[in-house]
Amino acid sequence: MYLIADFREQPKLEAAILALKAAGITADDMDVFSEEPVELRRGILDRPSRMSLVSVLGAIATGGLATVGLYAAQQSYRLVTGGMPIFSFWGTGVISYEATMLGAVLATFGWFLWESGLLRKRDKNIPVPTVLPGVMCLRVRCFDPHVTRARQILDSAGATDIARKEVA
Amino acid sequence: MSIDLDRCTGCEACVVACHAENNLPVSSPDQAEKGRTAHWIRVDRYYEGEFPDVKVKYRPVLCQQCDNAPCEPVCPTYATYHNAEGLNVQVYNRCVGTFYCANNCPYSVRFFNWFAPEWPEPLQLQHNPDVAIRPAGVMEKCTFCVQRIQRGKRDAVVENRPLADGEIQPACVQSCPAEAMVFGDLNDPESRVSKLAGSGRSTQLLGELGTKPKVFYLERAK
Amino acid sequence: MAASVPELLPYAKIREDLFRPLSSGSSRYWITVFAALAVVVLGMAAWGIQVRDGMGVTGLNRPVFWGFYIVDFVFWIGISHAGTLISAILRLTDAAWRKPVTRAAEAITVFCLMIGGMFPIIHLGRSWLFFWLIPYPNPRMLWPNFRSPLLWDLVAILTYVTGSVIYLYLPLIPDMAQLAEHNVPWRRKLYRILSLGWTGSDREWHALERAMKLMACIILAVAVSVHTVVSWDFAMSIAPMWHSTIFGPYFVSGAIFSGIAALLLVLGILRRALGLELYLTKHHFDNLSKLLLLMSLLWFYFTFAEYQTVWYGNEPSEMAVFASRIRGLYAPYFWIMVVCNFVVPFVLLGIRKLRTISTAMISSVCVIIGMWLERYIIVVPTLGNPRMNTASGVYTATWIEFAITAATFAGMIVLYLLFSKLFPIIAVWEFKPHAVEED
Repeated sequence: MYLIADFREQPKLEAAILALKAAGITADDMDVFSEEPVELRRGILDRPSRMSLVSVLGAIATGGLATVGLYAAQQSYRLVTGGMPIFSFWGTGVISYEATMLGAVLATFGWFLWESGLLRKRDKNIPVPTVLPGVMCLRVRCFDPHVTRARQILDSAGATDIARKEVA
Repeated sequence: MSIDLDRCTGCEACVVACHAENNLPVSSPDQAEKGRTAHWIRVDRYYEGEFPDVKVKYRPVLCQQCDNAPCEPVCPTYATYHNAEGLNVQVYNRCVGTFYCANNCPYSVRFFNWFAPEWPEPLQLQHNPDVAIRPAGVMEKCTFCVQRIQRGKRDAVVENRPLADGEIQPACVQSCPAEAMVFGDLNDPESRVSKLAGSGRSTQLLGELGTKPKVFYLERAK
Repeated sequence: MAASVPELLPYAKIREDLFRPLSSGSSRYWITVFAALAVVVLGMAAWGIQVRDGMGVTGLNRPVFWGFYIVDFVFWIGISHAGTLISAILRLTDAAWRKPVTRAAEAITVFCLMIGGMFPIIHLGRSWLFFWLIPYPNPRMLWPNFRSPLLWDLVAILTYVTGSVIYLYLPLIPDMAQLAEHNVPWRRKLYRILSLGWTGSDREWHALERAMKLMACIILAVAVSVHTVVSWDFAMSIAPMWHSTIFGPYFVSGAIFSGIAALLLVLGILRRALGLELYLTKHHFDNLSKLLLLMSLLWFYFTFAEYQTVWYGNEPSEMAVFASRIRGLYAPYFWIMVVCNFVVPFVLLGIRKLRTISTAMISSVCVIIGMWLERYIIVVPTLGNPRMNTASGVYTATWIEFAITAATFAGMIVLYLLFSKLFPIIAVWEFKPHAVEED
């Protein structure tokens, strides 16, 4: 069951989230919807991210693959050009570098699609609030014993509109 | 190859022979004015002094088949590379026409096929069947008459004998009336060209660039 | 001192202003698009003639084997650095004034790369075989030569295009979600697909912001390398006055220079044409002008250092090129370049009283012309004065090269106009209501 509350001021939203967390509702059950990014203070609704790590790993993997590929290609097609050695890191280092960067780009984009949830199959039954400009919507997932308590918290925190949506 | 500049008279028989042997395209006067002639070997003239004490120096310039060729590493499709015999080969089929090799050649010995080649009647009947006709869009240059090298090697194998020094002669070497040009195996220390290349009169064109050219110009030390 | 509180722009007005260009299309707009398309078609016909008849229809010759096409190539790839500087560096330094400018800049990057990337194909003697540079499986087991700077170009530009498109697309997603209620059905579908089902949840925003920050760092690293690699097409050769270590930094700073100029020009035009005076304010143009001035000084420094070094070294083959550029055949182009790149920006933008939006746009046009001439000065005189001076020659471009060059400018106009009609040119979500500035 979902409660959707509209807030117009950020401090009130933050207070509501903290109070809800104190009442036992986890950060995973809460989502804030807005038309522009809301900068909540640290510790309120932190979402741990592995994006930097994935980006670096993607970069290293692609760069390494490219270098190995270059080595194999040069060795299998040993044509002499000028005085240059058949494989030299200086001769092909640029390509390794660009491949590393490309790996970082693709890894970042791919992980973004995953981490944001855009790429995952969305459960059509979960309500998505339509957000008006200047409004921050807090969507809380809670179950029967907690619902009234959650409603109280949202009310006292200053939500302008509280709707209750059942999951169909 | 060695070219004796003290013997060269600047007659350009080598240029004509090369044209005939290698199916070089014939240019037209206005294309020539635009700088689009192709002479795989050309004779550069240097004038010194004022009339009437003018001295003219001739230097036939052809592809130097550099061991450290600047044109080779820059070709993206390996259309030019160094083969096992030490020749700088030009593979017409592989050339896509990036022009990079020509820009990097310090001797300016590379030529491009700006149009599909044409020959005024009846020159097209004179084509050498051993040499490809290059299509438009492809770079070309002196090959040390690789078709003659191949024929010489093949004949030696067929007749079951080693190649004799001086047996293979590119068209320019063959046609020089002053016998200024000598062609042979630089790896063989007994060959005539090796001895000339090692002589006191031997110089290299733009040798200071480190291209390691394989054409040695013999001139009297000044 | 004004006694009243500065008026804040309401959300509704921002959205209306920034979304309006997407629906209204004046006749002036469509005439421009079709005129530009006509020029593009002419350029394509010119290229067709070149492919059919051979490279001889251009002005290229021996020894000037590279001409307009390579100049255009370096020029367009250079301008593509606009987006990278503004977007990435300003995003990383958290400069607030970048907000209305980033998407316009990123769009310039993507389109310039697409246009510039055509030239390595157009300039080929056998263009239809360009794909031989790509390592693809083939029955002869042939590989391209990875040691060639042209292969480095290929990989660098592909990476930069991929990165730039993603960098343009990421901040576009929230705007696509907002536009998904557009009234024209095909557009509604387009926006909905492009928005990837964006709902505006904080998870999505966090992921987006993290991705943008990472992409800014990566794209900066890529951009610096891309134009360095393009400059190495020249620096890796041993042609006189090309084989110089300064080319890497010289070209990157020149690229950023021409990129800022292009961005300034585009923003100036957009501001007037789309009625965005409240969003692209004098403050933005002032900041961009100062950046342009800074890059002009940097350009002058690098150019001076390069020429001073050559002159002092007095090496004969380099001095032949030097003389050709400064006093010889190419002297008019050289000195016009110096005036356009240095004197005009220095005067118009350095003197505070003269620094207005109009003078900034004049400076930008001059810089764009000057930077095109700079590329020309780098490419042609060196090739025209080879080491063996018996082979020296002069290059005169033909109508084919002019047509194709003009077509690229027209193509840029078409792409940009179509983009500004399909997508909001200012990122709506990044634009919080701000006080209306005295203009």
